Amino acid sequence: MITHNHPIEQEELMAYLDGELATNRAIAAAAHLEHCAECQELAADLRKLSQELMAWEVEELESAEGTPIAIKAALQDRPGKPRKTKTRLGWRILLTRRGLVWGGGTAVAVLLLMSFSISRLRVPEWNDKQMSELTRVKLATPIPQQEPTLHSGLIGANNGEAGKLQTEEEQEGSDRPGVPTVPMIARTAGLTLTTKEFDKTRAALEEILKRHNGYMGELKVSAPSDAGRTLTATLRIPAPQLEAAMAELKKLGRVEDESQGGEEVTQEYVDLQARLANGKHTEQRLTEILRTRTGKLQDVLKVELEIDRVRGEIEQMQAEKKELSKRVAFATLSTTVKEEYFARLQPTPPSTGSRFRNAAVDGYNTVVEGLIDVGLFLLSAGPSLLLWAAILFFPARWAWKKIQSRKRGDAEEETV
Amino acid sequence: MLKFQRGSREAFEELFARYREPLYGFFRRRLASKDRAEDLAQETFLAVIRAVVRYEPRALVKTYLYGIALKLLAVERRKLSGNEPQIDEHHEPAEDGPQEQALWVRQALEKLDAGEREILMLREYEQLSYEEIAELLRLPVNTVRSRLFRSRMALKSFLEPKRKIQSRTRGAAEGEAQS
Repeated sequence: MITHNHPIEQEELMAYLDGELATNRAIAAAAHLEHCAECQELAADLRKLSQELMAWEVEELESAEGTPIAIKAALQDRPGKPRKTKTRLGWRILLTRRGLVWGGGTAVAVLLLMSFSISRLRVPEWNDKQMSELTRVKLATPIPQQEPTLHSGLIGANNGEAGKLQTEEEQEGSDRPGVPTVPMIARTAGLTLTTKEFDKTRAALEEILKRHNGYMGELKVSAPSDAGRTLTATLRIPAPQLEAAMAELKKLGRVEDESQGGEEVTQEYVDLQARLANGKHTEQRLTEILRTRTGKLQDVLKVELEIDRVRGEIEQMQAEKKELSKRVAFATLSTTVKEEYFARLQPTPPSTGSRFRNAAVDGYNTVVEGLIDVGLFLLSAGPSLLLWAAILFFPARWAWKKIQSRKRGDAEEETV
Repeated sequence: MLKFQRGSREAFEELFARYREPLYGFFRRRLASKDRAEDLAQETFLAVIRAVVRYEPRALVKTYLYGIALKLLAVERRKLSGNEPQIDEHHEPAEDGPQEQALWVRQALEKLDAGEREILMLREYEQLSYEEIAELLRLPVNTVRSRLFRSRMALKSFLEPKRKIQSRTRGAAEGEAQS
């Protein structure tokens, strides 16, 4: 037998042979096995044992080909429906021992539940504990994740089934937070065209939009005098028909610019759906509290305020969900159609007489304008000019006289 | 399995084709009746179909299927509760044919502790990893390893008489050939 001097244990050697040993230990085991006769013997025994076990073979299935009828039937009934054959179902099951145990147990549980509910109904007023329970009810209340469902509307829009769009009310009514099984993509595209026949192009654009069940989100037409007309429109086209619509639009003129993009909103949608479900659950619980419990007016008002707040949040989320669904179902195509611009010839210049007359009129206008400007200046600046003149008149006269007298004195000195 | 959950019948048929024989083998080696083994293999798939909506990909499909199979086996054993025909332990197969070898193995396995036998069989016949066995039987991986080792060593000792007979037969045959 193997002694304790071996760097690897017997179990480890077995795990190594089974391919279940960690790499570092497996390297050590392989190295040790190369030169240890005892371990080689054990390894040989274990291998032989596995070979011997393989001697026990089972006979082949008699009906190896094809799927059995029972399974085919179960596949027809799926998912999750109990099979009607082979097992004892219906009222007879109650006669079995297990049926009696289960039936009795269920009856006791129902009785206990009923008595508990009655005792709860008798509670006359809310106490602090109940109020604190109420305050704990927040939108973050977790909801057990339910089984995934397929949103035919949204997925259909992605898969080319825009006609089968499920209405928003139906989705909201179902109240089941499902997980879309294909990515939800909000598609966007841009197209800039230049055309010679602007009016015809516009009519054709509207025709294409109608044919593809789309609608005009926004439209703007500008017609500057020194340039061609420009039409800028935001078109909403069912996502599966975007490619076809774009191909038709491109035929309307010369393509100057084209772009396409997609934003995956699956996660956003799933989050929104989960929050919405939580919100509804909270609202339901609050309504239940309001219905089943009586208390002070103040407490009742608190619950009603909370319900109002939750309802507001639910409505906001429903609007967001609707908008998100619309973004996925309808692609946004920003289109610009430019008209090719043709410069017009200059008209004939006016006659010389007209030009003299125009010059005379201009001269008269200039004189009148000048006089008006002077008058306006005097009126606006006159009072302040008069004021400053009155203030500065006497000092200026005094200074003037002083200078004059000094000059006179100097002249007399020179003559002396 | 997830494809089947999403409604793909082809996915189920692939699953059925891949695991039908192994599941039948699982029940056949643990039950005396061939018909019951076949029925229970089928029952496993029916349970998969019924529970598909609740399926969560927490484990490998193989582990999931053998988990169901183990539960069905436990129910079946409870039903039989000792009425199942046992292998004759006193009968020692003398010849060295494939049938006799299989009988030797079965007898040796019968002598093992039930828990250790299950681990050994899951490893040898169902080819499950230590981790998968641990998950199925809700045991720590190290426990699975040590029990597996114990059961292999015990099985080796139970198969010793067979080895002796084999070596004796082989020696006699060689002697005859030489003479």
